[in-house]
Amino acid sequence: MPALPKDMVWTVVKTGMSARAEVKTPPRFKTGDRVVARNVNPAGHTRLPRYIRGKTGVVHRYHGSFAFADTRAHGQGDQPQHVYSVRFEARELWGDAASAHDALYIDLWDTYIEQAK
Amino acid sequence: MNGIHDLGGMHGFGPVVREENEPVFHAEWERRTFGVVNLAMGAMQIHVDEIRHAIERMPPAEYLESPYYEHWIYGLEALLRERGVITRDELARRVAELAKQEKK
Amino acid sequence: MAKDEHTEPPSAPALRIKALESLLVERGLVDPGAVDEIIDIFEKRIGPRNGAKVVAHAWADPEYMKRLLADGSKAIAELGFTGLQGEDMVVLENTPKVHNVVVCTLCSCYPWPTLGLPPNWYKAAPYRARIVIEPRKVLAEFGIDVAPDVEVRVWDSNAEIRYMVLPMRPAGTEGWSEEKLATLVSRDSMIGTAIPKVKA
Repeated sequence: MPALPKDMVWTVVKTGMSARAEVKTPPRFKTGDRVVARNVNPAGHTRLPRYIRGKTGVVHRYHGSFAFADTRAHGQGDQPQHVYSVRFEARELWGDAASAHDALYIDLWDTYIEQAK
Repeated sequence: MNGIHDLGGMHGFGPVVREENEPVFHAEWERRTFGVVNLAMGAMQIHVDEIRHAIERMPPAEYLESPYYEHWIYGLEALLRERGVITRDELARRVAELAKQEKK
Repeated sequence: MAKDEHTEPPSAPALRIKALESLLVERGLVDPGAVDEIIDIFEKRIGPRNGAKVVAHAWADPEYMKRLLADGSKAIAELGFTGLQGEDMVVLENTPKVHNVVVCTLCSCYPWPTLGLPPNWYKAAPYRARIVIEPRKVLAEFGIDVAPDVEVRVWDSNAEIRYMVLPMRPAGTEGWSEEKLATLVSRDSMIGTAIPKVKA
């Protein structure tokens, strides 16, 4: 691609590049579902941090479907997935020393989570 | 990857240090880095995920000790080399030429 | 992966970026004028005053606040703040019972169209590591003492959704214009590390 000219920069900045992408199958989870983050340790790119893996949370909200970071990072295409905002209680993540009132919210692609038992 | 960038929950980093009235860019090279990396990514259709992963592959000590925008330089250099756009030698030669010019 | 790259220490970043820019310009991939332009946009034209306008408008207009909380991207777009790193926005309402704070533990994701570029502390290890595990301690370092019965919600922006905090409107601001209300809204209050106050 040729260099973007100066007079196009503002338009590109204001338009952005949303990562939203269509997925034909319906989302697996809905608000209120209990889910567990998978314990996966890929050597490549992932947006599932270690502090979440194996922990159980509740789906707070369905965000829609987006290109999958893990595949985009390696030139393997968008391969879009459903993305959920999931709430984890602080004590679930950090143990009883954490506040009983606090929580963490993180956005998880479909293949990062499973239904909790 | 289980890299140094995956910082959530780690101990030992001390207080959050804030700079009063921090400027958007601290130096001309930070400005240039912000601009060049964004434009290069656009021109070469590099996804932000690719540059993030390039940065994740920085040697851990370097990642922690270098200023933020140096991560961007590292990431861009790595991607350009991996895509065969620029070789390590070409870059080294250009750096040497520019260093010489600055000494004059 | 790492070892063969370092027979010598890397040159100063200033030289490296000059070298990169010159090579990319020669190859016709980057236009220096375009580089100047994007720098200018983010140094001078896009910044947290945008987010402050969104907050002030929400404080002044309850219907707008409802729309903002229901669909952040759409409502923020009503004020014209769209684009790069803000394509998909969610706005988080602080209440007397809930205090929200935003981080990107994995890198530096931040809502550029409303807040501009993030400060160094947001991108550095201490904040990224600590805010998820000891948010109250970190907030206390910022001068915020969260009451024990208030819920602290930390939002890790690890995907492409970008988050902005809608702080509570301080008391003593009845009848204020939006312009005046916006002066109370600091950048940090929209990250969740400050609370707007009326100066005594």
